[in-house]
Amino acid sequence: MLRSLKHFLRESWLLIAASFFFGLLIAATNAALSPRIEMNKVTKLTSLAAGLLTDAKRFVPLAEPVEVKTRGGKTEPVAVYKAVAGDEVVGWVFKVVGSGFADKIELVAAVDGPFEKLAGFDVLASNETPGFGDQIKEMSFREQFMGAPADRFTLVSTGSRQEIDSTIVAISGATVSSTAVVEAMNLYLPQIKEQLQQKGLIGDGN
Amino acid sequence: MDTVYMLLTGFISVVLINNLVFTKFLGICPYIGVSGRIDMAFGMGLAVTFVMTLSGTLTWMIDHWLLIPLGLEVARYVAFIMVIAAAVQLVEMYVKRFFPSLYESFGIFLPLITTNCAILGLCLFLVIWGVGSLIEAVVLSFGGGIGFTIAICIMAGIRENLRMVDVPEALQGAPITLITAGLLALAFMGFAGMI
Amino acid sequence: MATNPEGQMGLYGDAVVNGLWRENPVLRMILGMCPTLAVTAALKPALTMGLCVIFVLVCSNIMVSLMRKGLRPHVRILMFTLTISTFVTIADLFLRAYVPKMSEALGPYVPLIIVNCIIIWRAEARASKSGLLVSVVDALAMGAGFTLALSILAVIREILGTGKLFEIQILPTTFPAWAAMGMPVGAFLTFGFVLGAMNVITRNRS
Repeated sequence: MLRSLKHFLRESWLLIAASFFFGLLIAATNAALSPRIEMNKVTKLTSLAAGLLTDAKRFVPLAEPVEVKTRGGKTEPVAVYKAVAGDEVVGWVFKVVGSGFADKIELVAAVDGPFEKLAGFDVLASNETPGFGDQIKEMSFREQFMGAPADRFTLVSTGSRQEIDSTIVAISGATVSSTAVVEAMNLYLPQIKEQLQQKGLIGDGN
Repeated sequence: MDTVYMLLTGFISVVLINNLVFTKFLGICPYIGVSGRIDMAFGMGLAVTFVMTLSGTLTWMIDHWLLIPLGLEVARYVAFIMVIAAAVQLVEMYVKRFFPSLYESFGIFLPLITTNCAILGLCLFLVIWGVGSLIEAVVLSFGGGIGFTIAICIMAGIRENLRMVDVPEALQGAPITLITAGLLALAFMGFAGMI
Repeated sequence: MATNPEGQMGLYGDAVVNGLWRENPVLRMILGMCPTLAVTAALKPALTMGLCVIFVLVCSNIMVSLMRKGLRPHVRILMFTLTISTFVTIADLFLRAYVPKMSEALGPYVPLIIVNCIIIWRAEARASKSGLLVSVVDALAMGAGFTLALSILAVIREILGTGKLFEIQILPTTFPAWAAMGMPVGAFLTFGFVLGAMNVITRNRS
């Protein structure tokens, strides 16, 4: 028993030692670089948001994340940013996550100060089919959301893209991607609005 | 019903629209060297499908039930490749022991498969695509393998026919295989926009 | 070893010529094709990938060369894989920290360096059998050869595909950009024809 243990150790001491060494190396690099990596993610979100809310001077993260119940019943924390210009709150910014098929779509959505109109969205990350699904990045699709009421949307297959209302015309050839965006908006917008109202950060509208 | 619809569409997406070979460039490396016969291609495809389904499922489980809860995402790549290597070893031992005739026909592909970019590639794509459920991971992994098999069988068929054609000397071998793959990639683009 | 200085020089010179031309990993040995096809749509990602591969190759070769006396046959490949995956993780962390946009563009192809046959091939064929300095020179040469090959493909694909190089307009805007060059079709076809050209060049020499 002892001999086989010695044999095992003799055969694999290098493997074990190397694993420890490499593990340390990775941990050290990760510890050193992960603040920067997190910073990059936030910068990306806020720089895209700045494109949507042109008045905003700074984006201040809320102290506590907002809890959103996703489609699987799970509760996810969503970081909401307050867009300010001086003392005035010009809008709210948060990340919206949806799923296409065999894909995850990450959007950054911006709404106006009283959470009534959507300023629009931009795409943080998506792997949709080039030429079709990635048309959700195109202005012709995104424009439909700009200035639309910050409430539930309905997806239709034909209609006028010019009319800014709660009806969104899907991209032909990218039904799944269009559906994913609309469903994600419908999931996140009402919940975040409700939570912000509960926290007293926006009015009730009454 | 909704889940079934999602799974079906996901399957079609991975097999045709986001085919691992023709849109993600995975899995071609060993293929260029291996001979172009359809039966060998099919055998390799089956072996890859089996390993891919197994690895995809295992790595998904490890990712979601071990790495993410413990905050060890940084060890993801190391963990994934180790799991894949171990899985292939085990499969090889198992097949050699219990299905020797099967091992005769397909077993030789197995060591080749560990370094096949397609396997690790699919496991990584499962992470990128944010696959949320185990059943979805299984279906997409299986789909990846099927898509791979379809791709290399078509290529093998064309290569067999190319033998009877006058390919310019400079293009014989790897170049013409790649050009074939390119034209097939063009053809597969026609599937985009299906869903 | 040091008794034959000319032989030593020959050894290093040999490694360099091998890596860059005679046994160029991509163009002659036709290894490591996945990243070649995926990242060569433009020159910037191609060079970034090349740099990553050089980094991983050098570190891996150094480690393997240092460990070569203690390598047991059973755990050889495992050791190589462990080493390579560690350094790829580190490279990926650096990319995500310092060049997040490029890291996103390269996507899963950076971790796919782990299964890039080139690195295991050099670990097996050179680093596990040779001293430290030769292994490093070999790694640099092979990495340079890889980067060279990728650059050739990327230049062709970017100029023909967008008329730009490094996002600077090179061809006149009246040139109809071959958008197909940026897609998988273009990748496969360009690579196939470049290999064909390599065959013509090497045939005429011998």
